[in-house]
Amino acid sequence: MRENRGPWYLLTGFVLGAFLGLLYAWVVSPVEYVDTSPAAMRADFRDQYRALIASAYVANRDIARAQARLNLLSDRDVARTLAEQAQHTLADGGSPEVAQALALLALDLGQGPTPVVVAGSPTAVSTLAVPTAAVEAASPTAGVTQLPTETPQIPTNPVTAAAETSEPSPSLGAALQTPQATRTSLPTGAPLPTRTPTATSGAPIALEEKSFVCDPNLAEPMIQVVAENAAGDQISGIEVVVNWEGGENHFFTGIKSELGPGYADFTMTPGEVYSLRLAEGGEPVSELTAAECESGDGSRYWGSWLLLFAQGAE
Amino acid sequence: MLYGWVVNPVKYVDTTPSSLRADYQADYVLMVAESYNQNRDLPLAARRLALLGESSPTEHVRQALIFGAQNGYADSDLELLSQLASDLQTWNPITGTGGS
Repeated sequence: MRENRGPWYLLTGFVLGAFLGLLYAWVVSPVEYVDTSPAAMRADFRDQYRALIASAYVANRDIARAQARLNLLSDRDVARTLAEQAQHTLADGGSPEVAQALALLALDLGQGPTPVVVAGSPTAVSTLAVPTAAVEAASPTAGVTQLPTETPQIPTNPVTAAAETSEPSPSLGAALQTPQATRTSLPTGAPLPTRTPTATSGAPIALEEKSFVCDPNLAEPMIQVVAENAAGDQISGIEVVVNWEGGENHFFTGIKSELGPGYADFTMTPGEVYSLRLAEGGEPVSELTAAECESGDGSRYWGSWLLLFAQGAE
Repeated sequence: MLYGWVVNPVKYVDTTPSSLRADYQADYVLMVAESYNQNRDLPLAARRLALLGESSPTEHVRQALIFGAQNGYADSDLELLSQLASDLQTWNPITGTGGS
């Protein structure tokens, strides 16, 4: 006599097998991640890793080492990521020291030659270049601890004494500069002056030009800030403080690196009166309010304040 | 296996510092030591080291010291690690005293 059990025993076996498989994989012997790389870490851990790199950089001022460490995180735009994290750290009420360290590292990584071309024509086009020296990997050769790399090999060869080369080639940096964004500056009254500053270090950054810009491409009233060093290169990581009645906001230049490493902006609320200053000091720029511009066909749109801060030549 | 290894191999995401490869972990500890050398904030250093796993902060530094000695870390870096290890050993996380 033959018992007809139908296909159910197959289904029962499948369910039992799946259950036992899941039990083994999830409870008895769950997967353990080992030998992972910093780039695979969760976003918040990567942020902490980045902050630690910046803190270590503040201590040792070894830009090549910091660059090598940052490379492990595989960030697409290192300087920009640092600047953004600095801003988020401040906005979220995080440690000002960490924000400062992040901004400093972003600033030092973005020190490559990034000329700003501002012609005198009322319809001039301001071409703002992004930093490229920031992402040119420095190449420590020897004399220092060999940092881990993305290769699967754990470093085993001690490096011995020699000089360390961390300066990127200026000619290469200049050759790689690629204008990323173009902004059209419409009538501002007077064109920005042509300046031939000399390179200085430590000189204060002060307001050099304040102009009202009518740009129909800007949908909202904004305060636009550009910071330059004495050589005329845009500099990122400059902390800007905006105050208004009952409010304050901090941000850093370089946060929108597609518009220039020294560029930052703040959207104004119509009717509010703002003052702006650099966190490192200097006279505040006051009485900044939203105002309208009028185009040729009579339509109106919001204009913006363009503030150029420059490091004085010594 | 063709699908799992070639077509769509596993990608590790959202991992933690505790799963980092040994050389990355050692460099992480070195960064903590470098930062500590400047700010002398031992609780902060201990919090950062705690991300590396359940072992004590001192143990993490000890492991990094061993790794560094075996893999040619510069003497100055080994000194930083030694200093941090030494200060952690005398540090009381409850009272916050100790260190230098």
